[in-house]
Amino acid sequence: MCGVAAIHAWHPSASPVEVAELRRIAARLAPRGPDGEGEWIAADGRVALAHRRLAVIDPDPRAAQPMHAADGAAVLAYNGEIYNFRELRDGLERDGAAFRTRSDTEVLLALFAREGEAMLSRLRGMYAFALWDARRGALFLARDPLGIKPLYLADDGWTVRVASQVKALRAGGRVSAAIEPAGLAGFALFGAVPEPFTLLREVRALPAGHALWVDERGPGAPRRHFSIARAYAEGAPGDDPGATALDALRDSVRAHLVADVPVGVFLSAGIDSGALLGAMVDVAGTPPTAVTIAFDAYAGSADDEAPLAARVAAQYGAPHVVRRVDEAEFRTDLPRILDAMDQPSIDGFNTWFAAKAAREAGLKVALSGVGGDELCGGYPSFRDLPAALRTFGLAGRVPLIGRAVRALLAPALAATGRGSPKLAGLLEWGGTWPGAWMLRRGLFMPWELPRILPRDVAAEGLRRLRWERRIAASLQPDPGSDFARVATLESSHYLRDTLLRDADWASMAHGLELRTPWVDARLLQRAGAAFAALGAGRGKALLAQVPRTPLPAEVGARAKTGFQTPVAAWLQDMGKAPSVRGGGAPAGRGSRALAAMLLAREAT
Amino acid sequence: MTDGPRVLALLTDAWGAGGGIAQFNRDWIAAACAAGAEVDVLAYGEARADDASVPERARVIGATSGRAAFALQAYRAAARRPDLVFCGHLHLAPVAAFAARTAACPWWLQLHGIEAWPAPGRLRRMAAARADLLVAVSRHTRRVALGWWDGEPWRARVLPNTVATRFTPGSRDEALAARLGLDGAPVLLTVGRLAASEAYKGHDRILRALPALRTEWPSLRYLVVGDGDDRPRLQALAHALDVAASVRFVGAVPPAELPALYRLADAFAMPSTGEGFGIAFLEAMACGVPALGLVGDGSADALGDGELGSVVAPGELADGLAHMLRGGSPRGDELAARVRARFGQPVFARGVSQLLQQALEAA
Repeated sequence: MCGVAAIHAWHPSASPVEVAELRRIAARLAPRGPDGEGEWIAADGRVALAHRRLAVIDPDPRAAQPMHAADGAAVLAYNGEIYNFRELRDGLERDGAAFRTRSDTEVLLALFAREGEAMLSRLRGMYAFALWDARRGALFLARDPLGIKPLYLADDGWTVRVASQVKALRAGGRVSAAIEPAGLAGFALFGAVPEPFTLLREVRALPAGHALWVDERGPGAPRRHFSIARAYAEGAPGDDPGATALDALRDSVRAHLVADVPVGVFLSAGIDSGALLGAMVDVAGTPPTAVTIAFDAYAGSADDEAPLAARVAAQYGAPHVVRRVDEAEFRTDLPRILDAMDQPSIDGFNTWFAAKAAREAGLKVALSGVGGDELCGGYPSFRDLPAALRTFGLAGRVPLIGRAVRALLAPALAATGRGSPKLAGLLEWGGTWPGAWMLRRGLFMPWELPRILPRDVAAEGLRRLRWERRIAASLQPDPGSDFARVATLESSHYLRDTLLRDADWASMAHGLELRTPWVDARLLQRAGAAFAALGAGRGKALLAQVPRTPLPAEVGARAKTGFQTPVAAWLQDMGKAPSVRGGGAPAGRGSRALAAMLLAREAT
Repeated sequence: MTDGPRVLALLTDAWGAGGGIAQFNRDWIAAACAAGAEVDVLAYGEARADDASVPERARVIGATSGRAAFALQAYRAAARRPDLVFCGHLHLAPVAAFAARTAACPWWLQLHGIEAWPAPGRLRRMAAARADLLVAVSRHTRRVALGWWDGEPWRARVLPNTVATRFTPGSRDEALAARLGLDGAPVLLTVGRLAASEAYKGHDRILRALPALRTEWPSLRYLVVGDGDDRPRLQALAHALDVAASVRFVGAVPPAELPALYRLADAFAMPSTGEGFGIAFLEAMACGVPALGLVGDGSADALGDGELGSVVAPGELADGLAHMLRGGSPRGDELAARVRARFGQPVFARGVSQLLQQALEAA
C-alpha cells in the first residue's frame, strides 16, 4: 500500500517536469508509505513517477517502485494489492515470462506487456496506478472497480499531475487553489465530496472502475472498465442463491488474506466484522488480532461495542485489543485528523482511531467489514427506497406539484426547527430513485444550500454538480430489481465517496493497509444477483453463517443502531461546531453540525 | 481534394485586420488547411477575400458587421452541412451553437483572453456549454474558463499562439537606429496597442521604473511601438516623471517592419495584467531579444514559466528590467531556437491537427 505520484508534461509547449515539485507531492504522501521511497524521471524530462512504499508483499528492496519492466518498455508506480497475483503470475510463467521479484507489482508489469489495457478485467483487488508506456509514449492511469484506492489528477492544459491524494497535489505548489463549487455543494448535500469532483476546480478524481490515457493529446476521457449496475444486471443468482453467496463470501476472505506480514481485523459488535473474523479463522487456522474501538463516553451504555465484540473475539480465540478513546485524545488528535482528511467528510473518525490502535498493536494490514450492508442489503434504505417510490412515484409525474409543496413546507419546517427538512421534499423527490436516495442519505437538502453556502456558490455548485443526473447514470444499465438498484446506489455513492475514501485516508495516515473482503468486484459478480434474489432482510443472516462456528446469537439480535461516535458532541463541547437547527434525529443534527464546521473550515 | 473535413469558421476578423485575434485566426486557418481541412470563413468584421495569404483551401464566404445578416449567413452555411464549426470568439458562441445544431456537427469554441475571464452572461454561457471542444490560447484562460464552463476538463485544451517565421535574430538596422536617435544606447522595447481599453498592458509601469533605471543607464531609450487613444496619457505621464527625453513613441508600425525594430532592442517588456497569451513576447524572443512579463495572466505561458523569459511580480519589475539590461538573460540564436521548439509553427500546426481530430471524434 502506498502513495503514488506522477507528472507528465505532455504538451510540446510545456516546461519539463520540475523534479522539486514531484518531491513535494511525494513528501505529502510519506505517511502512506513509510518503508521506502523511489522516483523515476525520464531521460527527456517529460515524465516522472514517484512512490512511497508500505511493504506488505515481498518486502525486499528489489520490489521497490517505481518498477521498470525488464525490457524497459514500461515503468509503474502502483498503490494497492492484487489478491490473485500468484495465479496471474503462474499463468504468465507458463507463457514464458520470467520474474525477478515475488511482488504483485512485477505481475502488473508483465500482464500489461501481454494484454495492455485489457489486463484490468483480470485483476482481483484494490489498486490505483500510474504506468508509463514507453512504446506508446503515454501515461496510463487506472483505478480499481469499486474505488477502494484513490487517484486524482490535475491537468492545466500543458502538464498533468497525478497523486493518491488531493492534498498532495496541492502541496506540489503548481495546482490552482480555486474552489470547485460542485464539490462544496456535493459535500453539503451528501457529507462527502462526490467524485469525480473534489473541492479544487483543477483536481478531479479518476472515477472508480475507470482508466484513462494521457497521450500527446493530453488526458483523454476516463473509460469505464467495470460497472456495478452491469454486475447486477448480468449476474445470475444460480439454483441455490444462499449457497452461491456463502461460497463467494468465503472465497473473498480467502483471497484477502494473501500477505507476507500478519493480518489483523477491525472488530465491532456487528455481523459484518464478526463474520469476517470467524471466516478468517476458518481460512488461516490461526486467529488474527482483533481491534475494537470503545468510546469512554459510551461505557456501560447500549452504544458501547466493546463487551459484545469481546464475546465474539473470545468465541474465535482471537487476541483482542480494546482501544479506549476519550475526549482528551480526540482533542489532541483533531488537528492531525483534519490534516490527514484528504477531503472533508463527516465520517472516518472511528477508522482513524481503529487504524491507530492497529498500528500500536504492531499490525501493518487489517481487514474491515465495510461494505457488508451494501452487499447484503443491511441498510434501512433497502426497504425505504422502494416504499418511497411506490408512494410518491405518481406524484412525481405531476409537474411542479412537488416543488410547490416543498416551497410552501420548507420555510415552515425551518421556522419551527422541528421535524426533518427532508419532509418538505418527499413529494418532489420521493418518487424517483435518485431523489429518494438523496432524501435518505442527504445531509442538507438542495433548497437549504443557499443558507449554508454563499448564494451564488450554492447555485453554481448545484448547476455543475447535476447530482440527480449523475445518480441516475449510476443506475444504467438497470440493475434489474429494487434490491439491486438500492445496492447499486449505496455502493456507487455512499460506500465509494464516504466509507471507502475515509477508510483510505484514515488508515493510510497511520501506514496501515486496510482490506475490504466485502467490497470485491469478483464477489459482487458472483454473488450480487444471489443476494438480490434473497432480498433485503435475509442477506445479513446469511453473512452470519459464513464462519463454520456461528456468531454468538446476541450479535444477530442486536438492534441495528448504526455505528455511533461521540465526535459531534465532542466538537460541540469544543465550540468548533455550530449548532444547526433541523435535521430530525439527534445523530442527524450532529452530522449537520460537523458538516457545517468542515464547510466553514474550507471557506477560510 | 475533398477528403478532408469541411469546416465552417465563424470569426471576428482575419485578413486585413490587426491584433492578436486576427493573427491567431489566420494562423489557425493556415494550419487547418495544411491538415487537410477546407475552411469556409464567415467574419463578423473584416476578412479580405483577396488577401494574398488566404490559403488555397480556404475561402471567405462573407464578412459583415450586421448581426442579423451574420446569423442568416451562418445559417445558410450550416445548412450545407459542414463537418465542424469553428467559433473564433466567445461572443459568437450563440450563433455557432445554432449553426452546429443546424449542421448536426460538433463545434470548437476558441477563447483568447480577457473576453473569457469574466463569467459570460446566461445566453453565452449556455451556448458555450454546448461546445464539444473548448480551446484556450493559454493555461490561464483555460483555468478561468473552467470556472464557468461546465464541460469536462478533457474537452478543454490549450493551443498556444505561434510566431511568424519572419521573426528571427538578425543584424541591427543602423539606419533605423539612427532615425530613432538611438546612438548605441541600451534600448528597452514594448510593442502593443496603446488603447485606453487595454491600459493593462503596463507601459505606465515601465515609465515609472525608468528614473531608477536611468541612474545605471543614463542613455537608456524606451521605444514604445504601437498607437492608440491611450498615447496622450502615457506621454503626459512621461513628462510628469521627467523621463520624456528617454522615451520614443514610435507609433504604429507595419507588420513587415517589426522584426527590424525588435532587433534594435536589448530587452523587451510588457508588464501586462490582461494578456490572454501575449504574442509580442514570442516575437521578441524569436528575434533573440530577452522578454519580461508579469505573473498572473497568460504571459507566463509565452515566457515558458520563466524558462524562456522573465516572469516577475509587479514589485520586482525594475529589478527584472535591470537584470535583462545587464545581459543576465538568455538571448540570441539560442533563445530563438528554444522559443521555436515550443511555439514554432510546426508545434501550432500539429496542435491544430490533433484538436481537429478530437473535435471531429465528438461527432
